[in-house]
Amino acid sequence: MQKRIILPMLVGAVFLGACGGKQAPQVEPPVAATPGDDEEARRRAEEERRRREEEERRRREEEERRRAEAEAARAREILAEMVFFDFDRYDIRMDAEATLRAKTGVLRANPDVRVRIEGHADERGSDEYNLALGMRRANAVRDFLVGFGLDASRFDVVSRGEEQPLDPRSNEEAWARNRRAEFHVISGQVLRVQ
Amino acid sequence: MIRRIFLLPFVVLAFASSLEAQQDTTRLPTGVRLGMIYQTLQRPVLAVRPFTAEDGLEWAAEEVGAIVRRDLDYSDRFEIFETPPQLATGPVDYDAWNGLGVVYVVTGAVEALEDGILLRLTLHDVVYGNVRQQQAFAIPPTDSPAFRMAVHAASDEVVRWVTGQPGMAASRIVFRRQNADGSTDLMVVDSDGENVRRLTRSEELIYSPTWSPDGRRIAYTAQHPDGTWDLLELEVESGQVRKLTARPGTTLTPAYSPDGRRIAFGLWTGRSTDLYEYDLETRRLRVLREGPGEDMSPSYSPDGRQIAFMSDRIGQPHIYVMPTDGGEATLISPYTYGEPGYYTSPEWSPESSLVAFHGRSRGQFQIMVADAARPGSTVQQLTSGGVSQDPSWAPDGRHLVFVGVREGGAGLYVIDAASGRTRPLVLDSRVRLPDWSPALLRASALMVSGR
Repeated sequence: MQKRIILPMLVGAVFLGACGGKQAPQVEPPVAATPGDDEEARRRAEEERRRREEEERRRREEEERRRAEAEAARAREILAEMVFFDFDRYDIRMDAEATLRAKTGVLRANPDVRVRIEGHADERGSDEYNLALGMRRANAVRDFLVGFGLDASRFDVVSRGEEQPLDPRSNEEAWARNRRAEFHVISGQVLRVQ
Repeated sequence: MIRRIFLLPFVVLAFASSLEAQQDTTRLPTGVRLGMIYQTLQRPVLAVRPFTAEDGLEWAAEEVGAIVRRDLDYSDRFEIFETPPQLATGPVDYDAWNGLGVVYVVTGAVEALEDGILLRLTLHDVVYGNVRQQQAFAIPPTDSPAFRMAVHAASDEVVRWVTGQPGMAASRIVFRRQNADGSTDLMVVDSDGENVRRLTRSEELIYSPTWSPDGRRIAYTAQHPDGTWDLLELEVESGQVRKLTARPGTTLTPAYSPDGRRIAFGLWTGRSTDLYEYDLETRRLRVLREGPGEDMSPSYSPDGRQIAFMSDRIGQPHIYVMPTDGGEATLISPYTYGEPGYYTSPEWSPESSLVAFHGRSRGQFQIMVADAARPGSTVQQLTSGGVSQDPSWAPDGRHLVFVGVREGGAGLYVIDAASGRTRPLVLDSRVRLPDWSPALLRASALMVSGR
């Protein structure tokens, strides 16, 4: 009980002493002054310098970590961006080409990454035919990526048919969003954009 | 900035595609006619009198009578006439019934059996003023799970007495229901909409359940969360599931051959979906049809010699028939150059050369029927208004179950292809892919002679 009270007092006294300035009031220091005081001050200054260096190093590391994280996040974002298709079609649209081309850079920069390409269809038509359509869409995307020199073995292709709509409504806008290919990383780490 | 550049073509394309997808919604596709598949004949008027009972069995008599009456109504072969109170008891007064325009009267009597009830059904021919048929049936007790099916089989026999063809009451419909968490299960319901129950508890996505010809097994396909597929067979009574093939690839739309020995299905083989046939005894797989385009949804003709299927080889999904042993495929869905066409999910009638499927008409999917024996003949569109998909024939070859969206709600509906009369079977927007079973019980198994 006593110890706990004394300890903050001691820290307070050291702090006051370090501030210097006015003459400290005539209070007997709790720790007796000894000839080792100078050495103690040097030791403390050295400690302080090391601490600052360490802090700086940590700050830089943290910065680098944040930058790498941001890059990885950006790379993941590029890789995950969906592409969309026209009704009952599976050819790659012009807008999808740009999206897919950006992915080829990420995939080249992260050669151990494997991706599952999932083809989706809108709710219209037969459930099973839509599974085939989803398969074709996923394949068309893979073929496009492989056409840029990427290894086909880096892709799994799967159809989800009309089971997982992004937008559950039944209108042209929802259907356009639901006719898509999704990209999911199945192994490897996505770290770099380029 | 980049966003804006790409947004414009995206919007234009989306708009163009929606225009392209738009079909002329004012007229039917060429080669399609609205109407039913048979001449609509006048249905004979039939009355079911309240069934009589031994002391203590009045409740059972009432329940059996209600099932029989509804089965005869759902057979769509009769105009059901409400029994007037003065004709509800006593000997059947043929003159009085005749005066009301009634052609047939069904009477029933229920007695106690050691392990159930004895149901005695009599069909009276009012025009001739005599008993046309009479038969006693042994029915399990009312609290037995087999009770309702037995009564349905007796009803089907009454239909046979009048028309020569049994009804379809003693049958079930299997279908898929999506659960709230996205998983799917197989469900089954009796032909009259009663007795809905779940057959599976699965984590996979289930597709395309189909009954074996003996009604004991259901084949279906399942996609696992990692995207792999299995062709599975469920034994209905035990609930046991076994894996049929381990060939990788998207596995779709199985169908049993009429002898129950083979299963045809669609299998994605890397570039497209091809038709395969799996032999349940030898466990061998053989190719029925391969090549470019998606081929799926095979359905055997009743003699097993032909297969109806869907193929989009010409750029649009259409319905074809071909010999099971290989050979030329013949188009049976309507095709007109320059007109959009979308026809999928064929199923061959168990009783005739008719093939039911769904097709896009006036912008919506509707149930259609083509005659495989007369390719190029006019296709009949059975439904109009709302959306109707995924037809499956009842064992009587006259009714079809389908997935419908109607004013009354979304779910499974039953249509009589002869009269067009439609009734809801299961109202639930999460149900898909129905398949109607063969007859699960015949009255001959229940008949008691000398009583």
